[in-house]
Amino acid sequence: MSVAIPRREPSFLSKTWSLARKDIRIELRSRDTLPPMLAFSLVVVLLMAFSLPSGTIAVLPRSVPVGTVPSNDVLAGFLWVTVLFAGLVAFARTFENEREAAAMDPLLLVPLDRSGLFLAKALANLVYILTVQVFIVPTFLLLFQVKVGEGWPALILVIFLADLGFVAVGTLFAALAAQTTSRELMLPILALPMLVPVFIAAVELCSDLFAGQGFGQIAERGWFGILVGFDAIFAIVAAITFEFAIDP
Amino acid sequence: MIELSAIRVVYGRTWALRDMSLLIRPGVTGIFGQNGAGKSTLLRVCAGLLRPTAGTVTIDGRVLNMKDEDQRRLLSYAGHETGLYNHLTVVENLELFARLYGESEERAHEVLKRIGLSDRGNDIVGNLSAGLKRRAAVARAVLHEPKVLLLDEPYANLDDEAADLLNAIVSEWSGGDRYCLIATHGAKRVKSFADAGIILKGGTVVSYRIRESAEV
Repeated sequence: MSVAIPRREPSFLSKTWSLARKDIRIELRSRDTLPPMLAFSLVVVLLMAFSLPSGTIAVLPRSVPVGTVPSNDVLAGFLWVTVLFAGLVAFARTFENEREAAAMDPLLLVPLDRSGLFLAKALANLVYILTVQVFIVPTFLLLFQVKVGEGWPALILVIFLADLGFVAVGTLFAALAAQTTSRELMLPILALPMLVPVFIAAVELCSDLFAGQGFGQIAERGWFGILVGFDAIFAIVAAITFEFAIDP
Repeated sequence: MIELSAIRVVYGRTWALRDMSLLIRPGVTGIFGQNGAGKSTLLRVCAGLLRPTAGTVTIDGRVLNMKDEDQRRLLSYAGHETGLYNHLTVVENLELFARLYGESEERAHEVLKRIGLSDRGNDIVGNLSAGLKRRAAVARAVLHEPKVLLLDEPYANLDDEAADLLNAIVSEWSGGDRYCLIATHGAKRVKSFADAGIILKGGTVVSYRIRESAEV
C-alpha cells in the first residue's frame, strides 16, 4: 500500500477551496439547495409585486408627504426580506451533505484549521446567495420599475458587502444549529437577532440607491461604515469561534 | 503505546465507558463485545471524535488534542456510516481526501485498486451496495496511511471475499509502530490475524489478551 510519490502539504487556501468546490459540485449534481431558494425568492417577489399598486416608482424621501412611507424604503425592505429568507434555506442545508453519511467525522480529522472549514462552507453559501441574487435582483428592479441609474456599481457593492456579513453569521449559526435535533427551528432563532444590523444597513443603503443617490452620497452615510465594520467583525469572530460550534 | 487513563463516558444516565484504563500496543487489536458494550464509544474516544466525560487518551506519550493538526493527521476513523459524500463518485471522494492530506491523486487510485474497487470508481457512492460502500469507506480511511486506524464494524455487509481482502489490507498496513483497532461482533474474522483482543461488557474491560508472538 505504500506509494513512491512524496507527500506535499497543500496550503490552507488550497484545502479550503477543495472543500468549497466539493460543496458546489454536490449542489450542481443534487440540486437540493438552489432550486428551492430560487423558487421561494421568485414567488415572494411576484407576490410583493402584486401587493403594491402598479407603476410604483421609488421617490426621494424628502418628496414624500408627512405621515407616509417612501416607496424606495418599502422596496429595499422587500428585497432584503426575500434575500434573508432565501439565505436561511441555504444555511439550513449547510451541513446536510456531511450529516447524510457522517462525513463530518473524517472531515474533523483532516489537518486543516477549523477556520478553513468555516471559510469553505461560507464560500459555498456565498455562491448560492449570489446566484439567487443574479436572478431576483434584476427581476425585482424590473417588476417594481426601480431605476438605479448610475448607481449600479454601488448597488452591487452594497449587496456583496451585505452578503458577506449575512453568510458569516449564517454559516456560524448553521454549524451550531446542526448540532441540535430541531436545527430548522434553531437556525432562525439563533441567527436573526445577530443579522439585524447588517440587514438594517443593507435596507438603508439600498433605499438611498433606489432613490437615485450615488456611491459618493451613500459612502458618507453611517450605514456604510456599519456594514463594513459588521462584515469585518463577524467574519473574524465567526472564523475563530467556528471550532467551538463543530468540535466534539 | 495508546494509553487510556480512567476514561469515563456518560450519556445522560447511561454509562458507556466506566473509568476504563488500557494500554494498547502497536499492531491489530480486536475489540469485541455485545451491543452496548462500549466498542463504538471507545473507538470514537480514541479518534478524538467524542470528548470523554473524564480521563485522557495518550498516543505515543502525547495527550490527544484535537486542536493539534499533526496529531489529527495520525488518526483515521471509519464508523458505522461511510463518511463519504453520497453525491460524489468513489474516485471524487478519495481524490478530495487525498488533496486534503497532501496525497497524490495516483495514491487514491492505487488504494482503490488495492481494495478491489477500480471498476466501480466512477459510481456515485449513494448508488453503491452496502458492502461496496464499506469497502470505499475503508479505502478512504487508509488513504493517507495513518498511524492509528480505527475501524468500527468494518465487516458489516461484506462477503467473505471482501472481508479477506480487508484483512489482507489491514495486515499489510499494520506493520511497524502502527495501531489498528477493529470493533466487531464477529470475533472470528479478526482472531486469525489480530495481535491482541479486548472484550468489553457494560463499558468495562472483561478480558484483554495479547497474542504471545506479539508480546515484546
